[in-house]
Amino acid sequence: MSELVLQSLYAGLLAGGYYALIALGLTLIFGTMKVINLAHGEMVLLAAYIAYTAESVYGINPVLAIPLAVAAVVLTSVMVYGLVSRIRQDRELNSLILTFGIGIVLTNFVLMVWSADIRSTNVPWFNEPVVIGEAFYSTSAQVLFFLAGLGLTAALWWWLGRSWYGRALRAVASNRNAAMLMGVNPRTTEVISFVIAGLLAGIAGVALYTVAVIHPDLGHNLTIKAFVITVLAGLGSIPGVLVGAMLIGVAEYMTITLASSALQELTGMVMFLLVLFIRPSGLFGSRGRVG
Amino acid sequence: MRAFPIAIVAACYLVVPVVLGSNDYILSLVIAALTLAAIALSWALLGNLGGMVSFGHAAFFGVGAYTSALLAKDLGVPVFLAMLAGGAGAALASVVTMPALRLRGPYFALAILAYAQIFRILANQMTGVTGGAGGILSIPPLPTVFGFDFSSKLGAYLVILTLLVLGILAYKAIRDSYWGLALKAMHDSEDATRVIGVPSTRLKAAMLVVSAFMAGVAGAFNAHVIGFLEPDYAFAGTWSVIPVVAAIFGGYRTLSGPILGALVIYLLDQLLFKTLMPQGHQIMFGVLLGAMILFSPSGLLPLLTKPFARFKPAKRTPTPEKRHAAAA
Amino acid sequence: MPLRLENISVRFGGIAALTGVNLEVADDSVVGLVGPNGAGKTTLFNVISGLVRPTEGSARFGDTDLVKGKIHNRARAGIGRTFQIPQPLHELTVRENLMVAQRFGAGRIDPSRIDEILDFLNLTHKADAQAATDLALSEQKALEVGKALATEPKLLMLDEVLAGLETSGKRAFMTMLARLHREWNLAMIVIEHDIETISRLCQRCVVLNFGKVIADGTPDAVFRDPEVRRSYTGTGAAEHA
Repeated sequence: MSELVLQSLYAGLLAGGYYALIALGLTLIFGTMKVINLAHGEMVLLAAYIAYTAESVYGINPVLAIPLAVAAVVLTSVMVYGLVSRIRQDRELNSLILTFGIGIVLTNFVLMVWSADIRSTNVPWFNEPVVIGEAFYSTSAQVLFFLAGLGLTAALWWWLGRSWYGRALRAVASNRNAAMLMGVNPRTTEVISFVIAGLLAGIAGVALYTVAVIHPDLGHNLTIKAFVITVLAGLGSIPGVLVGAMLIGVAEYMTITLASSALQELTGMVMFLLVLFIRPSGLFGSRGRVG
Repeated sequence: MRAFPIAIVAACYLVVPVVLGSNDYILSLVIAALTLAAIALSWALLGNLGGMVSFGHAAFFGVGAYTSALLAKDLGVPVFLAMLAGGAGAALASVVTMPALRLRGPYFALAILAYAQIFRILANQMTGVTGGAGGILSIPPLPTVFGFDFSSKLGAYLVILTLLVLGILAYKAIRDSYWGLALKAMHDSEDATRVIGVPSTRLKAAMLVVSAFMAGVAGAFNAHVIGFLEPDYAFAGTWSVIPVVAAIFGGYRTLSGPILGALVIYLLDQLLFKTLMPQGHQIMFGVLLGAMILFSPSGLLPLLTKPFARFKPAKRTPTPEKRHAAAA
Repeated sequence: MPLRLENISVRFGGIAALTGVNLEVADDSVVGLVGPNGAGKTTLFNVISGLVRPTEGSARFGDTDLVKGKIHNRARAGIGRTFQIPQPLHELTVRENLMVAQRFGAGRIDPSRIDEILDFLNLTHKADAQAATDLALSEQKALEVGKALATEPKLLMLDEVLAGLETSGKRAFMTMLARLHREWNLAMIVIEHDIETISRLCQRCVVLNFGKVIADGTPDAVFRDPEVRRSYTGTGAAEHA
């Protein structure tokens, strides 16, 4: 029993790495613009399907398809920004409804192009077992994208905290008008945050495709998962995302081990509601901060 | 002034059956459209009167459907009574979601979405009660009363029409009452409203219950018409999406907007989009939703009447995050 | 049914907005509440009307506990207030504003009383105007008082209702407030900067500075107090806050 628990702890932590990848873009945009991008999960899914096409049609390794997936998703992300930035009144709620609509468009686009079948990678390397200490089992894909998740979270955190663009971004997030007076063009920084969100979503999509299975209905769940992690993290907090993602990962795998795999999704939902009700500013964040 | 709506309702009761009475295909389209109109109305009651946007009305629709179906099938409760109980069941379920009332707009919307997902998962899991993913077959149809067969297409049409009319009357009664005035005032001046004695949380909770009841009855009606339920159908995202699209499309600040919106959208979807794009025709819902938010957030009517005043000056003054501060 | 605050303290994060405030207001008295900006006057109103929960202390209005109770119950208990920046109920007409206040705050429906209030505040001709958009500042301020009156309060708290009005408007409003006290038989707490207004309207004056009561007495005595004078001229709270 305890071995099973340890194994699910390990698997949960690993899953947290790529869950973080899924959530980072949503967190970033929420942190900078107070916009909850409900099409985020569909953007991740789009990248996953591009990786699938690269593999199944052109025989390209999904990892090598990352540039293509990222390019497509970044483009989508910038288009989403173009639409969201046109909202003038009641932006918080209207952007939610707008991106909800964009999500529906993307889901059905995926459905039209790739049909409703379930897909997963056929490249054997991704599914090769990696055993650590004879007790902890995982696949190469899980380990690879766990590391990628760690690395990219750290990179984003560093970038927001240290680079000039990052500083400008935080300035716009905390006070748009003041930042404008200081010579920061808020639109530029907002576009950049959408570009980065797209980039991260693109990588997350490829991770998703190699680690798990994909189908067109998944986008919605991914958005919710990303939002759950964002809320757990404390809306806008980047290091919190990693911790929140790992918490969700561990909770999910524990549920699978101790109860049933059908309840996996339930765990995230319940945690989400609990965090919203108990501490609306999240577990780790101070309210509305980026970085 | 009042003659016009009465004339429309009279036409729906008298003219439509005579003209379409024998065309089962058209009638079943109209029945489905009216069912969606009823959910859209329940959604708009919460959204317009209560000031709360919900992304999860499927939760109430599904609970209403299951409650009524199980009562009628397993306990032999008369169908019309079971439908009422379905509404009551959904109202009861809404009590579980009430902690979400403390959350501000977007968070409320997402919390209700999470509830809908939780309900769907639970319905899948509670195989003893719901039959799980296998679903429930042969749900009792609408009954025959005084020799009139309500399970016929025409009968079902008359039932859903009546439910919708009752819903409209309830909506109007609330809107025009002191509660309605207070709710209207709460949108933009919550503190000022509470200070003069309005129990705002209680009023919002009441709107949630009424809205859930209406959605639940619609779900119950649908279950008895379709005769079959499974969790992924009863709690499908569609039941959450369509009312939002319909209400935003028609204009959720008005009474007729959500209803007309639902009728137009559903018929467009079934008659046009579905034939053009058999796979993924719901893409048009997304397009419509996005277009409405961008070009006419207050609905189609203002867009038609004022083609050049696309963006009305912001009527809502942004309220500072008082509630956040109070909760912290 | 007197108001009794004991040792009320409010802290926002590290900032002490009120520290150990004691205040009793008897039925039927008019108390002026003065002090420099940031002294805690509005915070005190917020505590009494329930928008801010005190960190410490007890507050009662007759039998009603003002620390724990719900905001909306205070109107029924007899506490009415105005906001410094008028907060009309949006999307409602002036009359509807008063109707909602009466129905929920006083718990009864009496149209003739509403006509009376409209008449008293010179708002009859604006009864069907949109409260949020169609009123001049003086009318908005009058509506603020009207909403509070419609809840049939025993204690009326006025937060700078005269501020921003020109001199003649101010004078008319003051006459009205004096009549209000006489004819409607209300206890009142009045926040006002203008010393003359306070002197004319109130029998008693309480001075707040840095969240503490620094003087309490007749207006004449209070304004002669050297500490009060210092707080208004030399080292005002505004410089420190």
